[in-house]
Amino acid sequence: MRKFLNGPWVLLMPTLIILTCVVLLPLLLSLWTSFTPFKLTKPDTLYRFVGFRNYERLIGDLDFWIAFGRTVLFLAIALNLELVFGLGIALLINKITYGQRTLRTLMMFPMMFSPILVGFQWKYIFNDNIGLMNNFLREFGVIQPIPWLVDGILANVSIMAAEIWSSTSVFAILLLAGLLGIPKDPIEAAKVDGCNSWQVFKNITLPFLMPFVFIAMTIRSLDVARAYDIVQMMTGGGPAKRTELLWTLISRTGYVDAKMGMANAMSYISIFLSIAFTFFFFYKLVEARQRLSYE
Amino acid sequence: MMLRLFLSLILAVSFFGSFSAKAETELWGDYSGVTLRVKLIGGGQYEGLYNEVIPWWEENTGGKIEIVTQKNHFELDKEIKKDIASGNLDFCVASNHTSFASQYGDIYTDLNNIMPASVLADYTPLILEHSTVNGRLVQMPRHSDVSNLYYQKSLYEDADNKANFKAKYGYDLTPPETWDQVKDQAIFFSNPPDFYGTQYVGKEEAIAGRFYELVIANGGALFDEDYRPIFNSPAGVEALQWFIDLYNAKAVPDGVLNYLWDDTGLGFASGTIAMNLDWAGWAGFFNDPENSKVAGDIGLVRAPMGSGGLRTGWSGSHSFSMTESCPDKEAAASFLWALTSNKAQMIEARGGLSPTRPAIWDAIIAEKKAEGDEFMLMVFETFKMSLAEDAFTPPLIPEWIEFTNALYPELQAAILGDKSPEDALATASKKATEIMEDAGYF
Repeated sequence: MRKFLNGPWVLLMPTLIILTCVVLLPLLLSLWTSFTPFKLTKPDTLYRFVGFRNYERLIGDLDFWIAFGRTVLFLAIALNLELVFGLGIALLINKITYGQRTLRTLMMFPMMFSPILVGFQWKYIFNDNIGLMNNFLREFGVIQPIPWLVDGILANVSIMAAEIWSSTSVFAILLLAGLLGIPKDPIEAAKVDGCNSWQVFKNITLPFLMPFVFIAMTIRSLDVARAYDIVQMMTGGGPAKRTELLWTLISRTGYVDAKMGMANAMSYISIFLSIAFTFFFFYKLVEARQRLSYE
Repeated sequence: MMLRLFLSLILAVSFFGSFSAKAETELWGDYSGVTLRVKLIGGGQYEGLYNEVIPWWEENTGGKIEIVTQKNHFELDKEIKKDIASGNLDFCVASNHTSFASQYGDIYTDLNNIMPASVLADYTPLILEHSTVNGRLVQMPRHSDVSNLYYQKSLYEDADNKANFKAKYGYDLTPPETWDQVKDQAIFFSNPPDFYGTQYVGKEEAIAGRFYELVIANGGALFDEDYRPIFNSPAGVEALQWFIDLYNAKAVPDGVLNYLWDDTGLGFASGTIAMNLDWAGWAGFFNDPENSKVAGDIGLVRAPMGSGGLRTGWSGSHSFSMTESCPDKEAAASFLWALTSNKAQMIEARGGLSPTRPAIWDAIIAEKKAEGDEFMLMVFETFKMSLAEDAFTPPLIPEWIEFTNALYPELQAAILGDKSPEDALATASKKATEIMEDAGYF
């Protein structure tokens, strides 16, 4: 006992206790509820074990899998576009010598808006009747209003535009930090050897930047669920489930229908999605760092 | 035992401005040192009441009101469900609604055991019946809502419109009596994207409720006596086809499927909509030139009839409830009474809301007559008749909201042409059957 009290466990105990209370117990409780018909309005249902019934129902639920697939597609497109735009902005800001600080601050403005506010703003922009976009297009002769938030493709594009506007600066900041850390010598040496700008970017800047790219991707893939508020404000997952993502479906099932057991089963299936994305980006991060140290 | 709390109960006559309402049973007491924690519905149309009634109650009783939450009803609903799950019901009074009340189990106290019969006698009996869940009166009704049809009068007075409509449809252009006429007239008036014949709320419980009332008006029903879904019927298909036809004809805005109540109200006030089915709460706003481009040009008729010869009349009442766990039930009862008293209902009635006390109907109509306010007089007379003759509630079951969440995406899918009305209703019916089976109805 004395050995235990004098050992490293004692020092680790506060952390372990806090992690158990804040992370492990809620996770175990939510896992348990996914095996029950738990309804928020009927607390007694928390103690009724129904085995894998919720999961079995979900396996056969086409609506759930369509939302799952749409979420994967949304993540893939939004994250990649945010990366491309973020990289472009970071490269441009890195080039300028005057007013860089001001631009860096301006660039962070979208991050300062709460997602709910972003959703409201873009809902107004894409409103078919009084929205800025249709009124702008009208000036150029597009008389018939475009139903931005109704058409299946346009509604998803509109939501993606809001999400990209709101989060591209996260990529830009992380990548700008990476750009500022790149040593100048290899770039200057390459230029002396006659490389053009594209060759310098492709063979020197980008490999140095790749670890930052994957760190940014990992952070954003875990954080992107914040877009729930944007989707909820703009379309609520509709119309006719055309913009339904896992987040809107889970939220409605859990809090409006009060079926928290089922909502948690959905969440546990969707956790695999997060784990897959995170694992993939970490794998690529390690690979990029290894390649960098090899080179 | 509980009667002790009503020692202070007195009969009084309340006076409001230029009229006198019927004698009212008042429920005052000395509640010095008592603080009631309350969760209230928020929003422009609801908060004026609190600003007047809370200080009034505090002044007369010595008690204090602590507003814990003030948010829209859907957010409040989520919060209360979370409170139930966590067992954290540390408030005494909460806003409620007849369509929502049955979800909350037995967290709210049976007011039959608390409110004196003489207090309850001041409310419309049918509304008290709708406020009852499993034989327990869990709500004191605040105001009722039902929808009637507002329209731009000048469109119906225009000689060209009259002649062209008659030539095209073969009958006179008058404010519609049936939903088929609404469809004809909406298509006739529409000139997209500048002007639309009508609009409807297009998502969530809102469109499910509109569909429900049209099914009833067409002679159908949502459920049979055992709560088996029966809306996949000719009446149901006809109701859904009405929404589809208007959408396809571009007689409603393209974005209508994302519209909720504020969107339709503001749309009509913008002057770009010919007809608008809406509740009385908007009347004052519509006729206020500062807010509305149609002020002074508004007509109002009772909600039209469906093919079954019945008028649509989806109705419900906003209300207040007292938690079973409230430690100061006497004070809470007094506050519930104050929130729904003659004074409180008169404040809301002046804004256009429909009272739940017969005495206030008489009082507000008398007041508007005395003021010579023809528009509001028309509004109150129309809504009074509609609530008396046309109104019906949705099924008052805990599964109502969950059912509407299963139904509305299918209605939207049919309106957008993703599915036929029959397919959409068949899918919705299957989901509804699952919900009712899980709930143990059959």
